[in-house]
Amino acid sequence: MKRAVWAGLAGLMLFTLLLLAATAPDRLPGMDAGARALGPGDFPPFGTDRDGRSLLVYAQQGAAIVALPTLLSGVIVAFLATIAGLARCAAIGWLDSGLQAFQELVGALPRLVVVLVVAMLLPYDWRTLMPIAFTWAILAAPAAMDEAAATAGRLGGARFVEALRAHGFTAGRIYLYHVTLLNLRPVIARQAAEVMMQVIFLEIALSYLADASGGDAASFTHSADTKSWASLLYEGYTWLAAGLPLAHAMALGLGLVGCTVLGTQAFRLAARAR
Amino acid sequence: MPWWTRPLVRLAAALALPLLIPALITLILWALPGSPAEIICPPERCGAEATAELERHFHLDAGPLGFYTHWLGNAVQFDFGTSWRVMAGVRISEMLAGALPATTKLILIAMTLVLGASALATAQIIPKRLDPVWQAIGLLPTVILALLCAAYVTITYGAVSYDGWPGTLRLLMGGLVLGVADGTLGQAIQGTRSIFEEEVKQRYVGIAVLRGESVLSNTLPNVMPALAGQLRGRVLAMLSGSVVVEVVLGVEGLGQLVWDGTLKQDFGLVLAAAWAYALLSSALLAMQALVEIGTAWYVRRSPVVPEVA
Repeated sequence: MKRAVWAGLAGLMLFTLLLLAATAPDRLPGMDAGARALGPGDFPPFGTDRDGRSLLVYAQQGAAIVALPTLLSGVIVAFLATIAGLARCAAIGWLDSGLQAFQELVGALPRLVVVLVVAMLLPYDWRTLMPIAFTWAILAAPAAMDEAAATAGRLGGARFVEALRAHGFTAGRIYLYHVTLLNLRPVIARQAAEVMMQVIFLEIALSYLADASGGDAASFTHSADTKSWASLLYEGYTWLAAGLPLAHAMALGLGLVGCTVLGTQAFRLAARAR
Repeated sequence: MPWWTRPLVRLAAALALPLLIPALITLILWALPGSPAEIICPPERCGAEATAELERHFHLDAGPLGFYTHWLGNAVQFDFGTSWRVMAGVRISEMLAGALPATTKLILIAMTLVLGASALATAQIIPKRLDPVWQAIGLLPTVILALLCAAYVTITYGAVSYDGWPGTLRLLMGGLVLGVADGTLGQAIQGTRSIFEEEVKQRYVGIAVLRGESVLSNTLPNVMPALAGQLRGRVLAMLSGSVVVEVVLGVEGLGQLVWDGTLKQDFGLVLAAAWAYALLSSALLAMQALVEIGTAWYVRRSPVVPEVA
């Protein structure tokens, strides 16, 4: 398929995520005993949960939780990967060595454990996905930096820059256009997209674990009066394990996960090299 | 860059990691606004008395340097004190020792799957055309696969089935999830196969085959550093994923302990568990560095060439 098609699909997914986030209500609506566990046919578009709340609100609030932190994490990884690639091309020895030492140390940490330590140390008022996503992006950056530096190395590194200088190009054009946009772009975009997807899955995992650990367990990513996409999976789990009529919740949860994967793949394919 | 730079950096990182983790935690604690004890357990939630007790319990009143040196001094003797909330009064070292076997089993099961599949793929017993299948399975995140497995065990054996065969099944399924989810299996198969395929294209391999030597004995030493790097990355990812798998599938391992400690703000337990993870990670780094050094020595040995008369 053409890159434009993938770009359109990635843009559509991102637009949908932002639209859902922008229209999300701040608080959960009240319970409605008469509308419990209704399917999408009885309560469009997605049905209700076991308390009679619309599952659309779950989708909206879940999008609001992940939207900005996800974008931020993608930007951080893309920035660090670009720096690593440019450092290799510019042949700045101390910066390249420093970045390698950073990659070795940070890349050696088990990410989820570090995230949990950060989550525990955060003051209660700061408990949102943003600092967790930031931490995850830093921890995930070494892989992206390594690949960007390797790509720049294969390109010829300093010799490639020297050759372009001989053509009379300015430093800005060489580093921003030839190196970053034309050559590092596929790597940076893919790594950023993967980390964005990982942050969404991380949020789902942390919220699911909090849900599974009992109702009184505080989530590390959102306040008690909002629902994450993980809550859809948790509702869906009660259909699987206890037979409650909530298959539509599981379908919506899995659908959102599927859309996340699809959006990531579309973004990656849209940014691939010619 | 000389060949020994990378392994040296890795060895230095392996030594620094166990010192760095508690130092970072200490730094964060004292960098945040408010006293460390109030951050871990705010008085309005825990009560002023409990917060003061926490401060004494973990020597948080000794300042950042006092706390760090005291904690590290005890940690090197594997004395982490007692649990604050998860199992109040129980020694943390005992809790860690009790949890480690389950996590080790999970990782071993997952590694057996990943290494076995990689070996079979390299030997071309698993055909290349199945790669899209592994990639498609790998798109599933750990939490989704784990909850599907948990649902299966719960439906089949009941919600409190943790002993006997259901307990073993939880472990096996946990290992399977760790080995398959988040692209682990697909990346391992493709990664290992592509490393060997690239190496086999080298001229020296063709010459070795003409001399009657095997491909594997020639290529293996040269690909060992890359394989060790991949192995380290996968074990790290599995250690990270084991937190989710253990909590969702109800496996009493290190990950479950970290999660419980985080939820209940059991500072000492989380710090000790994070340090245990840092030690494991250091061991993996050191292993990779030693493989690189060993390989470099092996391949740099001058071949014995008979002197021309």
